[in-house]
Amino acid sequence: MSEATSEAMNESGEATVTPTRNVIEARGLCKRYGRTLAVDHVDLVIPTGRIVGLIGPNGAGKTSVLKAVLGLSGYEGDLKVLGRDPSSQRASLMEDVCFIADVAVLPRWIRVRELIEVTEKVHPRFSREKCLHYLSTTKVRQDHKVKQLSKGMVVQLHLAIVMAIDARLLVLDEPTLGLDILYRKQFYTNLLNDYFDEERTIVITTHQVEEVEHILSDLIFIQDGKIALDCSMEEVQERYVELMVRADRADEARALKPLFERVLMGRHIFLFKNADRERLKPLGELHTPSVADLFVATMSAGEAESFELNTGAAA
Amino acid sequence: MNRLPALLQREYWENRVAMRGTPLAIAGIYIALAVMALISFGYLDHEFSSLKEAIRFLNTTDEATRAQVIHLANIAASQLFTLALGFVVFFYLLGALYDDRKDRSILWWKSLPASDTVTLLSKLVTAMFVIPVIFWVVYVLTVLAVYLIGSVTVLVLGENPWTLFVGLGNPFKAWALVLASYLAQALWALPVYGWLLLVSSFAPRLPLLFALVPPAIFAVLQIWIDFLKTFTWKTNLGGILWEWYANSPIIACCDVEEGRAAATLGVPLFDTFDGAATFGNMLDRIFSLQMASGLAVAVVLLAAALWFRRRATDG
Repeated sequence: MSEATSEAMNESGEATVTPTRNVIEARGLCKRYGRTLAVDHVDLVIPTGRIVGLIGPNGAGKTSVLKAVLGLSGYEGDLKVLGRDPSSQRASLMEDVCFIADVAVLPRWIRVRELIEVTEKVHPRFSREKCLHYLSTTKVRQDHKVKQLSKGMVVQLHLAIVMAIDARLLVLDEPTLGLDILYRKQFYTNLLNDYFDEERTIVITTHQVEEVEHILSDLIFIQDGKIALDCSMEEVQERYVELMVRADRADEARALKPLFERVLMGRHIFLFKNADRERLKPLGELHTPSVADLFVATMSAGEAESFELNTGAAA
Repeated sequence: MNRLPALLQREYWENRVAMRGTPLAIAGIYIALAVMALISFGYLDHEFSSLKEAIRFLNTTDEATRAQVIHLANIAASQLFTLALGFVVFFYLLGALYDDRKDRSILWWKSLPASDTVTLLSKLVTAMFVIPVIFWVVYVLTVLAVYLIGSVTVLVLGENPWTLFVGLGNPFKAWALVLASYLAQALWALPVYGWLLLVSSFAPRLPLLFALVPPAIFAVLQIWIDFLKTFTWKTNLGGILWEWYANSPIIACCDVEEGRAAATLGVPLFDTFDGAATFGNMLDRIFSLQMASGLAVAVVLLAAALWFRRRATDG
């Protein structure tokens, strides 16, 4: 902790009483698998008290970034998580970091009682009372073996354990994959109501963007191992606007250089970045784009860009 | 290091069937055989007449010989336990760092603040001490049960079990020899344990094949190349392993030594060590050059296993 504090002071060049601490700081983070660069010189800063959505297509490098952050794999570049070096200090880092990587990774042979006991003995910040409290609202019983539980119950159990740990960073990698909608809704409700506060930080990767977009405070898009977008949700609202116009006025909108265009039931929908809203307004309806639409637009823009770069290099 | 007890407990929970079930099954076999023998005597014999006859005859034999037979019988009873112990430890170590990678629960275990070093240590301590001690305790309890069945039978038939067999020989010495040989073997076998843990830490699948095939191929190539060069057999990996095994401090029962049956250590094929089953001869093996070189190999193999474990994730 003292390390993080002193670093913050050095960077700002002046001593502050309560420096804003960054939970994750990555500079030039790379991860290679053979010749492919799964994570390509990523710079990333995640401050305390945020709920960050790390979103990208399959194989974009999300999981590679998270594995590096959690000390589960090697990497190149500078990476500090809560002031520690994850690759050499995983064990001590895990006192302050929790993660749920995918569903159903709890050992199948273990009984719930044993799982709670081993966690209690190994984890200094685990509270058995809290865990039992969260479990009391579920159908999970202490003498159940994990393999007897349904997928949804396993996730409830895992979440109950994780929420009973007083951690500063919680990483959720596809936490609700394969769960039905009831469990998914409940998962995020519990997380927000009973767990999250300004001292904690949550990083979520998921394909089900619609479910998390209303809880996120920050958005990071990752594509081909690079950060394609990194901003807060307020900035998303400021920067991006969606314009819905009738077909006969589509050309006028197109002339204003939208980021992306799609057609929905005869209406043309354009996504603009940093556009003058006063000029757009007369053309049609304005609203804030959904994260999913922004994601699709950013990804296709990124692909077009790399396509241009490639063809440019060839010519 | 205060996390070690919790992790040892977790190893026991996961491998309860092999660690506790196996010796209990052997105990069951011994006790069932004793009871079946009694029933047979009662069924075939009118009022145990031939058994009474046998006891009377035994009472007339030389006490010193009887004491030696009882000592050997105590040790012989450990043989089935020793054999099963070898198999249990072998397969335990093969799975120790492999099973959780296969079922992905490594992602859960690595989310706990237990270092990879203490995790590896918990597996090694389980193989070296926990499993052998469990087997030994069940072995002693089994012998006690057989003593009890025998004594009650002899009492019921109106004879004195104390002068017949209970007071003869020193069962505590036999039991202590067996325990000492288990602990000495744990040290002697460290290079093999290290190899099994290493295979377990990196094998992508089929750890059994990875454990057996490479040394076998290596040994065969060594033999072949030596033969091509010099047309003689030289020391090769196979020979080294065989000598290592033959010299191990495991108690084998029973060989004929100087005209009398006696327990030996390992297989008395080489003149390197004295083969008599004594505490001193076990210590000779432990404080030998062979043991020291074995330790050096073990340290390298365990360090390699730790290196792989630190980088291991699912898949």
